[in-house]
Amino acid sequence: MTEPGADAGEPSEDMEAGDPALARERTELAWTRSSLAFLGVGAAILKSRPAIGITVLAIGMVVWLLGRVSPRPGPAGSLGARRVLVVTVAVTGLGLCALVLTLATSSRGLRP
Amino acid sequence: MRGDSAMVARNCPHHVPRAASEGTDNVVSDPAVNRPDEGTEPDARFTMANERTFLAWARTSLALVVGGLAVAQLLPPFPRVPWGRSAIATPLILLGAILPVLSYLEWRANQRALRLGAPLGRTQLPKVLAATITVIALLAGAVDLYSRVASR
Repeated sequence: MTEPGADAGEPSEDMEAGDPALARERTELAWTRSSLAFLGVGAAILKSRPAIGITVLAIGMVVWLLGRVSPRPGPAGSLGARRVLVVTVAVTGLGLCALVLTLATSSRGLRP
Repeated sequence: MRGDSAMVARNCPHHVPRAASEGTDNVVSDPAVNRPDEGTEPDARFTMANERTFLAWARTSLALVVGGLAVAQLLPPFPRVPWGRSAIATPLILLGAILPVLSYLEWRANQRALRLGAPLGRTQLPKVLAATITVIALLAGAVDLYSRVASR
């Protein structure tokens, strides 16, 4: 279970083992990937639906910022839970928007 | 993999005991409510791994939504099958809208299990994803085939 990044020479060995730099970095990279996914979607939508596109771009930036905040140990469900909830609401909201859009355009397409 | 981490979590020596001051605000002790500060703070690595798993699901959901949008908006209509595109796109987008909620619930359950040192629950999400994608792919193939045969 010893991570290569865990600094064995640290005096506070327990703290380092419980919070290794590599795991933190992986998590930060995962947040960066997620934010890039949002930014990509926002950029793709931007041309046809500017309002939604800009909103998604803004969400992407918020997600990027949330990834910069390092989770601190403490009562879980504080920041950690909230930033996870932000992503949940964002993706679900985008999905519902897309659903409405698709159903609206398909019904319009069927009518003529 | 998941079982391993659960086992490690249970035997993990890095659980730090909860601060005594945190116990004072636990006036309501309803077992039905998932109190986030229940149990002990798990190893930060498990917390972060749980979060990364959730983020991977969130990206998967985004990809599903975008894929559905692309089918609905960019694909030329199937000849003779006017409902074809939305029939393929709607389940994709629906799955993309539901998955983040499911993965959030799973993230919360996992975090709770980690705090309590309990084994992680069996996840159903990969099964749901695989089954739905298979059905959608078969549907897309059927729509395409029908469209080609009908318009010949």
